[in-house]
Amino acid sequence: MLRQDINELLTQTGPGTPMGELFRQYWMPAMLAEELPENDCPPVRIKLLSERLIAFRDSEGRYGLMDEFCAHRGASLWFGRNEGSGLRCPYHGWKYDVTGQCIEVPSEADNSSFCENVKLTAYPLVKIGDLLWTYMGDPATKPPLPEYEFALVPEEQTYTSKRWQQCNWLQAFEGGIDSSHVTFLHSGGLKTDPLFRGAKGNEYNMNDTKPFFEVADSEGGLFVGARRNAGDDGYYWRITPWVMPNFTMVPPRGDHPVHGHFWVPIDDENCWAYSFDYHPVRALTPEERQAMLDGHGVHSKNIPGTYRPAANMDNDYLIDREAQKRGETYSGVAGIAMQDASLQESMGPIVDRSKERLVPADSGIIKARQKLRKAAIALRDQGITPPGVDPAHHRVRSAAIVLPVAESFLEACGDAVTVRPGVPQTTV
Amino acid sequence: MTVASPAQTLSSCARAASAAELRYRIQRPIRPARAARVVALDDAAASVLSHIADRSWANARFYLCERTDDPAVFAAARNGEADLPGLPEAARHIALREIGGPSFALVGELTGTDVVVLVATGSTGRDYAEAIGRVCAARAITTAGVVLGADRDPAAPDAAAGAVAALRPFARVLLPTADEGDLVELLTALRV
Repeated sequence: MLRQDINELLTQTGPGTPMGELFRQYWMPAMLAEELPENDCPPVRIKLLSERLIAFRDSEGRYGLMDEFCAHRGASLWFGRNEGSGLRCPYHGWKYDVTGQCIEVPSEADNSSFCENVKLTAYPLVKIGDLLWTYMGDPATKPPLPEYEFALVPEEQTYTSKRWQQCNWLQAFEGGIDSSHVTFLHSGGLKTDPLFRGAKGNEYNMNDTKPFFEVADSEGGLFVGARRNAGDDGYYWRITPWVMPNFTMVPPRGDHPVHGHFWVPIDDENCWAYSFDYHPVRALTPEERQAMLDGHGVHSKNIPGTYRPAANMDNDYLIDREAQKRGETYSGVAGIAMQDASLQESMGPIVDRSKERLVPADSGIIKARQKLRKAAIALRDQGITPPGVDPAHHRVRSAAIVLPVAESFLEACGDAVTVRPGVPQTTV
Repeated sequence: MTVASPAQTLSSCARAASAAELRYRIQRPIRPARAARVVALDDAAASVLSHIADRSWANARFYLCERTDDPAVFAAARNGEADLPGLPEAARHIALREIGGPSFALVGELTGTDVVVLVATGSTGRDYAEAIGRVCAARAITTAGVVLGADRDPAAPDAAAGAVAALRPFARVLLPTADEGDLVELLTALRV
């Protein structure tokens, strides 16, 4: 359980809140690069950390992210004309560049300096990999750009999707470090999903439904190790890294691509789940890429033209009780992503954690909450930069490995959980 | 013509997941963990427990694990081990001394509970961890281990690693940490 005041602290990420300020210390995925596919393309409305923003790509290919509303009368710049190196409000013609600086106010005299004093709040927007990243904090403390491996490998080795999840970010994120649900909720997928099936590790997963856990601090967050019996071979370990505040990876299976997530708050009752797959040393095969596009693995099949999953709460997630009876899915909901999302959304927009009945197997979640709370308070009260800001903290990997019974997963897996360019993932 | 209200047009899940519907969650108090036992495996861990035990807990009891030759404890152990075939002889000489209180036979005290939290700062409690682990395994009691960090004793930098190794076979969950607050956080979350 969690006290209500702490639950509020962790779940509220708007401007001026302790967690909101914490999130504003980091570079965050703001959108997929595909959403702004060419110069002067239509602007895109986005909401991040409870701030309404407009994103656009100008005539020179520069990306801009700024207050959605024109400084003049508050009209939405979603209606803006993206042309001539700026975004012009169609109401009275005020025009802004990618920094939010107003560069034209047609009603003023030709040589007027009026617009020099008009600047919308704007944030940097930078393309790294398939994503456009932003930093919404104090420009004076802007950290170096992020160095997550999935975003740095060549483009043929990586794929990222996103989906709207209708609940608070913490509910979604906590699923990312909860290793014990896989054996149940996702058991169907381990047998059939083209991005999971066939790995030796799946057998260990299914044969031992009561894993042991070790939760260890890392410089940027945590490593959560889940240990299962691997017969005479020793223990099968699945190691899940968490980099604060909202990056998680899933331990790999066989030679399948490695996957993970960013859980980005939209507001306090919605978040974006960015889901990635990449392979450290080879291109994704056409079959793998197609499977991802089709919503397999950690990805979702979305309503065309949107990032809303086709199976969503408005259609009861297309639950199929017959498929459940046939053993094709454990919960009746198809797909790993929506199996998670359906249950996390069922808790309500912000779950009341004072009513939880946690067990020791939830120690990863308990520890993560503790670290988030302490980091938010240390930032608020002492200005301490939180873990996970330093790009060195981003260079982690998930791993799956069989170790002798007596070995410690962290001592044995130091290399396995560290990014080593050109070296394959450690996997079973 | 009948016009459906907005609530009627929503799917079951959309309606149930709304903030408005959350108000109807049953408010009955949640039962705490059943008679949780929190056991220090060495003196340094007992020192930590001595001030944590003063907080307000539901049913938790706090102990130091120690060896004993007290005939009364030994006899009590004999009486309480009917469900523990193969229990090592040494386990009969292990007592749980309540923080600031009396001693009890290990096998008798680990009854009627559903979670035991082991707390260690080094590997000296390995035998205790094994005995507790065996009793808990036989009685289907979940065990969690908290290892308080290596930086507690600069003279023994490997103490925490030793403690982790000692507890690993017997604790369903292991939490090595430099922060005593994590222990409080764990116990609070478990509703002990």
